[in-house]
Amino acid sequence: MLASLWQQLSDSPVPIDSVDLAWAGLAPVMILIGGALLILAVDSLVPRRLRPGSYALATVLLAAGAMVAAVPLWQRVQDAERGPFATAAGAIMVDGFSVFATFVILSAVILAALSFDGWLRREEMDGAEPYVLMLLSASGGVMMASANDLIVMFLGLEILSIAVYVLAAMHLRKITSQEAGVKYFVLGAFSSAFFLYGIALIYGGTGSTNLVRIATYLSATVLGDSGLVLAGLALLLVGFGFKVAAAPFHFWAPDVYQGAPTPSVAWMASGVKVAGFAGLLRVFYLAFSTYRLDWQPVIFVLAVLTMLVGSVLAVVQTDVKRMLAYSSINHAGFILVAVQAATAAGVQAALFYLAAYTFMVAGSFGVIAVVSRKGDIGTSLDDYRGLSRDRPVVAFAFALLLLAQAGVPLTSGFFAKFYVITAAIEAGSSTLAIIAMITAVISSYVYLRIIVAMYGAGDDVPAPRTIPLPAAAGLALVISLTVTMSVGVFPGTLASLAERATPVLIPESDPGAVDPSGVPPGP
Amino acid sequence: MLPTLLAELSAQNVVTTPLTQAVVLPFLGAIVVSLIPRGRAELHRVVALLFAVGTGALTLSLLAGFDRQDSGFQFQVNRVWISDFGISWHLGIDGISLFLVVLSGFLFPLAMVAVAPSHDPKPYYAWLLVLQGGCIGVFCALDLFVFFVMFEIVLVPMYFLILGWGYADRVYAALKFFIFTMFGSALMLVGIVALTFLNRDGVVEANQARVATIQSEMATVQASQGLSGPDTPVDPAIAASLAAGEARIERLLNPKLNFDLVTIAESQTVTDTSTGASPFDWGAARWIFLAFALAFAVKVPLFPLHTWLPDAHTQAPTAGSVILAGVMLKLGTYGFVRFGLYLLPEPSVFFAPALVTLGVIGIIYGAVVATMQKDLKRLVAYSSVAHLGFIILGIFALTTVSIEGGVVQMFNHGISTGALFLLVGMIYERRHTRDISSLKGLQKSAPILAAVFTLVMLSSIGLPGLNGFVGEFLVLVGSFLTRRWFTVVAAAGVVLAALYLLWAFQRVFHGEPDEENADMADMNWREGLVMAPLLVLIVFLGVYPKPMLDRIEPAVARLVSHVENHSDYTEPAVATTGVGVDAPGEDGG
Amino acid sequence: MVAQNVFFYLLAGIILFSAFRVVTSNNVVHAALYLVAVLAAVAAEYVLLAAEFVAATQVLVYIGAIIVLFLFGIMLTRAKLGSDQDLTHPHWALSAATAVVMFGVMGYALVDQFHWTATPLPADTRLVSVDGSNSATVSDSVFTAYLVPFEVVSVLLLAALVGAIVLARKD
Repeated sequence: MLASLWQQLSDSPVPIDSVDLAWAGLAPVMILIGGALLILAVDSLVPRRLRPGSYALATVLLAAGAMVAAVPLWQRVQDAERGPFATAAGAIMVDGFSVFATFVILSAVILAALSFDGWLRREEMDGAEPYVLMLLSASGGVMMASANDLIVMFLGLEILSIAVYVLAAMHLRKITSQEAGVKYFVLGAFSSAFFLYGIALIYGGTGSTNLVRIATYLSATVLGDSGLVLAGLALLLVGFGFKVAAAPFHFWAPDVYQGAPTPSVAWMASGVKVAGFAGLLRVFYLAFSTYRLDWQPVIFVLAVLTMLVGSVLAVVQTDVKRMLAYSSINHAGFILVAVQAATAAGVQAALFYLAAYTFMVAGSFGVIAVVSRKGDIGTSLDDYRGLSRDRPVVAFAFALLLLAQAGVPLTSGFFAKFYVITAAIEAGSSTLAIIAMITAVISSYVYLRIIVAMYGAGDDVPAPRTIPLPAAAGLALVISLTVTMSVGVFPGTLASLAERATPVLIPESDPGAVDPSGVPPGP
Repeated sequence: MLPTLLAELSAQNVVTTPLTQAVVLPFLGAIVVSLIPRGRAELHRVVALLFAVGTGALTLSLLAGFDRQDSGFQFQVNRVWISDFGISWHLGIDGISLFLVVLSGFLFPLAMVAVAPSHDPKPYYAWLLVLQGGCIGVFCALDLFVFFVMFEIVLVPMYFLILGWGYADRVYAALKFFIFTMFGSALMLVGIVALTFLNRDGVVEANQARVATIQSEMATVQASQGLSGPDTPVDPAIAASLAAGEARIERLLNPKLNFDLVTIAESQTVTDTSTGASPFDWGAARWIFLAFALAFAVKVPLFPLHTWLPDAHTQAPTAGSVILAGVMLKLGTYGFVRFGLYLLPEPSVFFAPALVTLGVIGIIYGAVVATMQKDLKRLVAYSSVAHLGFIILGIFALTTVSIEGGVVQMFNHGISTGALFLLVGMIYERRHTRDISSLKGLQKSAPILAAVFTLVMLSSIGLPGLNGFVGEFLVLVGSFLTRRWFTVVAAAGVVLAALYLLWAFQRVFHGEPDEENADMADMNWREGLVMAPLLVLIVFLGVYPKPMLDRIEPAVARLVSHVENHSDYTEPAVATTGVGVDAPGEDGG
Repeated sequence: MVAQNVFFYLLAGIILFSAFRVVTSNNVVHAALYLVAVLAAVAAEYVLLAAEFVAATQVLVYIGAIIVLFLFGIMLTRAKLGSDQDLTHPHWALSAATAVVMFGVMGYALVDQFHWTATPLPADTRLVSVDGSNSATVSDSVFTAYLVPFEVVSVLLLAALVGAIVLARKD
């Protein structure tokens, strides 16, 4: 039997068509993965501990290098003649959207790495693993943003998530961190299962996992029974909804944000959310735009729920990390408002919001990491009393970042909300716009409470304490504040970048973009 | 990056225009002040004052250079800010906004001189300068977006001023202030965006006729070539002209968004004369007006939304109260004029009765509640509710005279209530209480303060010959033509104002002072210096308001005719003749 | 065909017998080894159906990974390695009932789907056939259409590995 098997195999050499791989298109991911391996190798081979901060520096340089590698990609995909391209047998799509998301994710890596540096030293945990995990997680995020195949999307999601589970549970001496990790892991695995089941159903309904092929199939074919596809889509939405912490899949977020190490939360709230929304936008806009009328109402409901939960429940919190956890849920709701529009303006608004939000939220959690004490404690509202006296500059920066999250003009947060509102009204969802703004007011109360704690402590100010500000954390704060404020005054650059990143997902707005079929849309 | 940006801005002539300077200079000052190291209190104060005074001088130069014949917007600057959304840095002032800009120009330096902060001078002055820039920005903005940005930005410095330098209950007051006003403006943002889309729909609708013309011309050309439908003509010239026609249709049917106040306000004139229908959807515009009105009503504040005001006023530091009453409340009333009447005339006329009712309720309610106050500052705060009610009555009585009166009253209320808050602040600084019952006989110990207080109070009551009378009189005269019974009720408010202010004056200043009140220091020279310009204005504008009215009237007349052109409203004939424009001064004197 | 049928029933018998011994054996290790026999026989059935890729996966995943994990678990915990009379769970009848129900459901599903009609085996049952599912096509697509997912799985494992070390390490 075995002999004959061997015979048959050696008799007929099967030629394999080699896959066309555009290495340049994969360069950002490769740099992230290769860099992670390199750091890991150096960490285990070098006998003595390296100088503190080397790994953070390496991570920042790697992310910056990946950004540099992404610049020619951006130029290439924006070039009228060359345009966006798919590679690796159509599994990976390099287009304006993916490159934009890549930039945002890499910015989040840099900010979180800078925040990690001082935090790890304070917690006496100096090691390479958090950086390795974050780089791997970021590579998963970039993969999600550029996936043109549901399987690649799922694998990206899993790489992203597994690394983040560990980042959440990383603080081994802190029981809440362990609890956060386990909670996140169990619920995350659950949602991954949903996601995978959704992929299976969609494969059953359309015969492909390739997004463009699904789109082509759905626009060319009138399905007699679309139940399978719709069920699959609903399951995918559950998976994405969990990752971006949209209500009612948000239950993990406050507990995990509170328990997990603060720099991990900075990454979770920025990079992971960006990747989740990038994947969501790509799947829903590119593959299932013909089912727009089916998913729009669902996203409408999700957006309303998410915004309400994120704003109303934040009001009763007394822990700053929990407050910001709920506020990040509220932000997710805002982005869902943009998603719900299902227009080019909607994508643009979502991308702008994600980019602006990344800097605001990573900066905010950076401040929390600095203000908390050894053991990652001291994040209750009372711990912020008198911060304006102990660390006036940090307090002021935090206040500005919080006001930006509230959407006060001359900050990027205002324009983010403005674009979302504009997209929603243009798409005829004025109700959603009104609800969104009302929740924005409610959550601004939350930010004001933190500012009040810092500035309006009154007579019961606790004794002054020294709060060390590590240089790297200071740099992260400066970067996020600079971006937040300058985008707040001159939003044009970021807005036009976001605009140029959209046409891939909205084929009709730009005939030059990748149009999978050219067939008029189905029912 | 920054040098190129600056070079670009100066090349575009943005920086050199006086309005941009007046808006940007205070912001610049705030940055400069915050860069000065801590611990040099005097330097912060001097630099901040320099910037504030410089801004004040700029606004005065605007007053000097203002062309009183021109009823339109002057000193305009219009540069693209965010091109994709048709947002531009469009500033300009007319007679209505001129005096509010001037008011913001000089009230801020006065407030800075009057009171020094108890602690942390650096952020205090920086926030005051930001506030000044924001306020001037609101009054100058001719772009809905710029207006909103400025309208919203003033919240932040005022919030921090109350929070950082306010009195015992400041945390609650600051939160209430911020949340109330933010709630109002949040919906206004939705309204603004909805309005731009509505306007675009209107433009598309109006362009339909031209599109039809172009299409028929193109069809003729095609028919002459013997072509049908999608065929491409052989002759390249004809093909090019057809393509040009397509492009024109494309442009006409997909106009850019536009946030320009003047464009949106004027484009509503596009009316199809044959059918009598306006392409502008007034039904939707009414909802949008409500969103705007909510924001302004909170800011004014109009009757049921006023509850933040007494708290904010009482808890704010003196300078904060002065600015809040003097300038910031006008953001609401000015908003009603510019972004209500001018921007949305038809809905304004539609909702005018409701707003007039609320205004009159405010007059009576504010007066009655003020009578019952035990806290002197709270009393003045409630008197503001009443005075602002007059302004609203004037604006929505919709006659030239009444609106003019409202505009005059905005300025005068800024002066007299600002001065009142300064005086209350002085008393508080000396006595550390604002409780009317514990103050007594201050006239004996501080005769100059008492005299100044008397004059300011009489101006606030509206005594003929002082500035407060001019506005109130014009409002009452103008409103009587269209809202007779409301005016009668409002006139009762004048009497009540006399009642509560005189009563309070009597309790505080008359009688024999007991020990603490007996040795209260009188006004010092610095405080006198601050009060002097205000007193001069109070008397001057009371006796001779003509220069002011001359500049306001053309703009108001133009506004009223704008409203008439865009709605079914017609002003009663007698009101257009300018009754009483010159009269009150002579009457009162 | 006859040879195939003969082997089918032979393997089916092995499966039945081993499965029965899994639940009746008094020795945990023996039970696990009987389970190996069940799974191996199932793999053999796959080979009979010319689904050699599934067969290989069955061997690798179930026998190679899962059962080994079982054995590790048994040996690392304090379970008795020798014969143990208390091994039978007191509520075994309930489990048996569940198994019967499951059997019924699956049997019904099969009968409902195929209605006792015999589905002919593919004509070409050589392992390397021109079409149909076999290792060659699977490996082809793994290295062409699914190259990226295939490679990316290694990154996923790497992330899991690093994570496991981080969590398990004692500082």
